[in-house]
Amino acid sequence: MTDRLTSLHEAIEQVFPQVEGVLALKRGPAGIAAPYLFSPEHPEELELLVLWPKEPVPDTLKIIQRAHTDSKLAIVCRGCEERGIVEMFKHSQLKWDNITLIGLECTQEEAEFCRCAKPFTIHATNTVGDSIQGVPDPLTDKIAAMSLEEKRAFWMEEFEHCIKCYGCRNICPQCFCNICTLEDEKWVETGRLPLPNPSMYHMIRAMHMTAKCVACRECEETCPAGIPMAVQFRLIARDVQEMFFYETGAKLDQKPPQLLVLEEGEYQRTGLPH
Amino acid sequence: MYEPSIIGFLCNWCSYRGADTAGMARMKYPPNVKIIRVPCSGRISPELVLRTFREGADGVMVLGCHIGDCHYSTGNHRTAKRMPVLKKLLEYTGIDPERLVINWVSAAEGEKFSIVIKDFTEKIRALPPFVETMK
Repeated sequence: MTDRLTSLHEAIEQVFPQVEGVLALKRGPAGIAAPYLFSPEHPEELELLVLWPKEPVPDTLKIIQRAHTDSKLAIVCRGCEERGIVEMFKHSQLKWDNITLIGLECTQEEAEFCRCAKPFTIHATNTVGDSIQGVPDPLTDKIAAMSLEEKRAFWMEEFEHCIKCYGCRNICPQCFCNICTLEDEKWVETGRLPLPNPSMYHMIRAMHMTAKCVACRECEETCPAGIPMAVQFRLIARDVQEMFFYETGAKLDQKPPQLLVLEEGEYQRTGLPH
Repeated sequence: MYEPSIIGFLCNWCSYRGADTAGMARMKYPPNVKIIRVPCSGRISPELVLRTFREGADGVMVLGCHIGDCHYSTGNHRTAKRMPVLKKLLEYTGIDPERLVINWVSAAEGEKFSIVIKDFTEKIRALPPFVETMK
């Protein structure tokens, strides 16, 4: 852990001459980690650099880029955060050219904590730490193997705990719409508990995460009720990969399926009649 | 035996005309399907289908033009992309994906229309009422 911190320290100092700031996590006064823009003018602040727990840094990057359009920034990102940045770029939320990526490879422990299939960076030019293979996701596999009735009982039980705090939506790096369907009375019974069955809130969110979820698991982390909602997103992501050959955050030039017109022969893979 | 209530979203240009064709040819099909005419099957958002289930429908049909025949050229491509994903989501949440059907019916295919409706109604009739399963 300390080794990675030292090498990250060095990596940041290396890019300092080329950028106006480096976005990374800083230990706050209460001991919690929070995104912070380290400035080359104050290299001594790097003493407060931390690695874990992870926080959604891409969102902060977006806020800074909106305020300072042409700023040259570097960002310390893990595999999931890098995928988040790629997807945000594809949906015109970020400028890719002005960003320098410093990849931070996850350790085996961290990958297992996140049940992460891709705990490594792809696009980052300079990386810190040794990249490891993805770990299996036992929870998703377990739920995928359930029967319809078991699945229904499982999710009804989980969604019963939901307090509709909208935390999962707020923390999601891919939820950036100005007008959110989840706040629309037409679709979601806003401000009413418990959630009815089937839960419109969670199903609409899962639907909107199609080909967008980067499997960072921030939603599960932030959920006060501990609902494993990322399982649904991951299951759908597997199908999207089969149907549309689309992998979130993998290729910069691959258009998301939402923006595609399907070619002849492509929609047959979705199992529709022709 | 209960009578299932089914909502059918029919595209104005093909499937709704297909229903007309079936009617003009005096073809018989079960009356369980309540037809809602929409400008294009691409109009049917996943939210709309989910809300229909929430309101107590036992089955939902989305019928549109064949791929390539869309009046708005690529409207039904949206249906072709989003509905299979929605079916998967229904399955992962524990709702029988058979309750949602997507098919392409052109204006000339009156017979296909009646067959699609007949088959779907039979399929839904075999399942328990949707509201019961959600208790």
